[in-house]
Amino acid sequence: MDRRAFLRQVALWSAGLSVSIPHFRICEALAAEGQQPLLAHATGRDYRDLVDRVLSPLGGMGKFVRPSDKVVIKPNIGWDRNPAQAANTHPQVVRVLVERALDAGAGEVLVFDRTCNEERRCYVNSGIQEALAGIKDKRLKFFHPDERKYIPVDIERGKAVRRLDIYRDALEADSYINVPVAKHHGLSRLTLGLKNSMGVLGGTRGAMHHNLGQKLADLATVIRPKLTVIDATRILLANGPQGGNLDDVRVLDTVIASVDPVAADAYATTLFGLRPEEIESTVAAHGMGLGEMDLKKVRVIKA
Amino acid sequence: MKNTRKIPLYYWRRLSQLACLTLFFFLFIRTDYSGTDTIEYAVNILFRIDPLLALSASLAAGFFIPLMLPAVGTLLLTLILGRFFCGWVCPMGTLLDGCRTMAPKAQTGNDRKYRSLKFYLLGFLLMGAWFGLPMAGYFDPFSILVRGLALALDPALNTLSTTFFTYTYQEGPTWLNTVTEPVYAFLKATILPFNQKYYDLTILSLGILLLVFFLEKLERRFFCRNLCPLGALFAVTSRFSLLRGKAGTKCTKCRNCQEVCRMGAIDEERTISPIDCNLCLDCLHHCPGNKISFQFGMKSQAKPTFTLSRRTFVSSLALGAMLPFFLKSRTLARQSDELLIRPPGALPEEAFVGRCVRCGECMKVCIGNGLQPAFLQSGLEGMFSPILKARTGYCEYNCTLCGQVCPSGAITKLSAPEKKKVKIGNVVFDKNRCLPYAKGIPCIVCEEHCPTPDKAIKFREVVVENSRGEKVTVKQPYLIDGLCVGCGICETKCPLPGPSAVIVTSAGESRNPAKALPDTGRMGY
Repeated sequence: MDRRAFLRQVALWSAGLSVSIPHFRICEALAAEGQQPLLAHATGRDYRDLVDRVLSPLGGMGKFVRPSDKVVIKPNIGWDRNPAQAANTHPQVVRVLVERALDAGAGEVLVFDRTCNEERRCYVNSGIQEALAGIKDKRLKFFHPDERKYIPVDIERGKAVRRLDIYRDALEADSYINVPVAKHHGLSRLTLGLKNSMGVLGGTRGAMHHNLGQKLADLATVIRPKLTVIDATRILLANGPQGGNLDDVRVLDTVIASVDPVAADAYATTLFGLRPEEIESTVAAHGMGLGEMDLKKVRVIKA
Repeated sequence: MKNTRKIPLYYWRRLSQLACLTLFFFLFIRTDYSGTDTIEYAVNILFRIDPLLALSASLAAGFFIPLMLPAVGTLLLTLILGRFFCGWVCPMGTLLDGCRTMAPKAQTGNDRKYRSLKFYLLGFLLMGAWFGLPMAGYFDPFSILVRGLALALDPALNTLSTTFFTYTYQEGPTWLNTVTEPVYAFLKATILPFNQKYYDLTILSLGILLLVFFLEKLERRFFCRNLCPLGALFAVTSRFSLLRGKAGTKCTKCRNCQEVCRMGAIDEERTISPIDCNLCLDCLHHCPGNKISFQFGMKSQAKPTFTLSRRTFVSSLALGAMLPFFLKSRTLARQSDELLIRPPGALPEEAFVGRCVRCGECMKVCIGNGLQPAFLQSGLEGMFSPILKARTGYCEYNCTLCGQVCPSGAITKLSAPEKKKVKIGNVVFDKNRCLPYAKGIPCIVCEEHCPTPDKAIKFREVVVENSRGEKVTVKQPYLIDGLCVGCGICETKCPLPGPSAVIVTSAGESRNPAKALPDTGRMGY
């Protein structure tokens, strides 16, 4: 099963031409084996500059976005919280990534999240709506997910979940860029890149919480970002994932980027004084060969 | 009136009706979150210019409600112009007029035997409001209209369009979608609600609204002539109005005017009763001799064209005054429904029900789809008043819209920081259902969504034996009463099928000190 065949299934299903559920089986090599995964992190007050700096060791945006690509940039816009409260991805980080994707010649850049609080309030209060309104480019599409466009997908390699409703654009993207914010979470301890992918799921997502770590790893077999950029400009240390109390926020002015989603999560975990193996989803994803969690085996570059 | 070549006067009336109706629909659609924390438009203005609701809510409150001051203006205008409101402004009246072109014509009818019903109803409602049985909102035309729209037609319209455009999206060829998808996007951006909402009492609200329209079969403007208590209030005021219609005495008695009169205001002697006339001005146009004119005058004091039975009227007043005392001996009066959760800022129960005009604005504007019309939870007199039903929707922590749109102040307008201090309820966990307690399955979705900055729902890590006999560590939720605001997002998001394992009750609500929760610190046990 290659990607092209999978996309054909997705298209047929959503056009009502097929009743068989699309299924995604990975045959291609997972994390580029033998090669040491690369991770860059940078610290600085100017978040625009910060994003550029962190991307350059990875080869710049051009490495991930080819001309006329369909690009999905998936921030965390889950909560009706403002940027200082550290519950959503920082608007400036999202904005720079969108601009760089457009600069790289993307055919279209889609930005969305399925929120937990009321959709419009989250988009507004997160500051992302305002930040993206400044970009006057018709290729940028910032929208609320459309209920009709969730597609059931069989998770062939899933150990804890067999089928999930996934947003069509996320499946069809040529380049999927995951942009989580690093923060505390009651159940999973932290919410990072793998948890952020839940924003492309339809249906009742609460059921994901029963054996969350493995289910996130299962989801990661289908939603496979070409690039993960973790926003740790400020991190939420308690009362996550919503926060609301500025005393729980610590400003780190840090951004992390990696091609390896597991390595990105593993590195971000250390910012909280935790070890990667304390996060179940990291362990589960690593166990399935989706990426590297041993930071000694990752080439970490301070940019 | 010799200006036959000019635009007939009734065209102006139609223009006014159309403008008011358009404004009404515009404000109805705008009764929603629009990207800012405050609603810029006075979306509730229709209810604030309504003297019936102003009077009944004020009688219940025991003082004149300043929010409803615009209603005084309406009454003053009625003193000058008569029942112009019914003919030129009222959106219900306009819709009734409009639907006549679609329905088979009923006989114009000049039956007067039901005319007095509205006065008895008015007397009953006002006395009831005063003594503690507030039911004006059940009969007020705007309440009926907006409830029908908000609770039934608006969500149904969304279902209809979504169903249709889902079909074209999934089954239609690409060329069709290049047409239908932009149309859908346009509809979503203009008239459709932002998302699908679900309501209780949908069919009842729709049924009451449709009934008003079906009554058109009996008589034109049957509701307005015979039932509308707001119309009755205008009629009483119009007895003293200055602008009066007069038919000439030397007319040919063609009775065209009598036949076209939608309010049945013109009798055999071609006297135009100011109590019924809504100044539609159709008769001017149809009078072949141009004998009819509308003039300002203080002299002629028109006598009512019907007789009100004094005995029945007094009885209806007595009924309104007596019935409330029966309410005091219901079990409800002693122990209120524990699931009766009112919106944040709601007045104490009796005052709240008294002032609530059942307009449905708060339910329309509730972005969490948490507010639902009550059925009998707060008694016969509380029907259609808003309650939070947290399984279908919740109260969004940062949102203050319901207090902003409430026309009568039954829900106090609160700033966001004020609102966050209001406790509308308290949560209880059903440990027989809650997964970490009952099954040893990890969950904690409630804790994840709990919006207070210091989470009201916390958890303990406990080793339990799950259904497979394995020892597992799970996080079991518990509540800090003092932090919980009762928003109900935990109940909405609880991933269990069927009833939630976490339920909001009205215990501890800040508007009722009698429901204060025990405080272990102070009690010292």
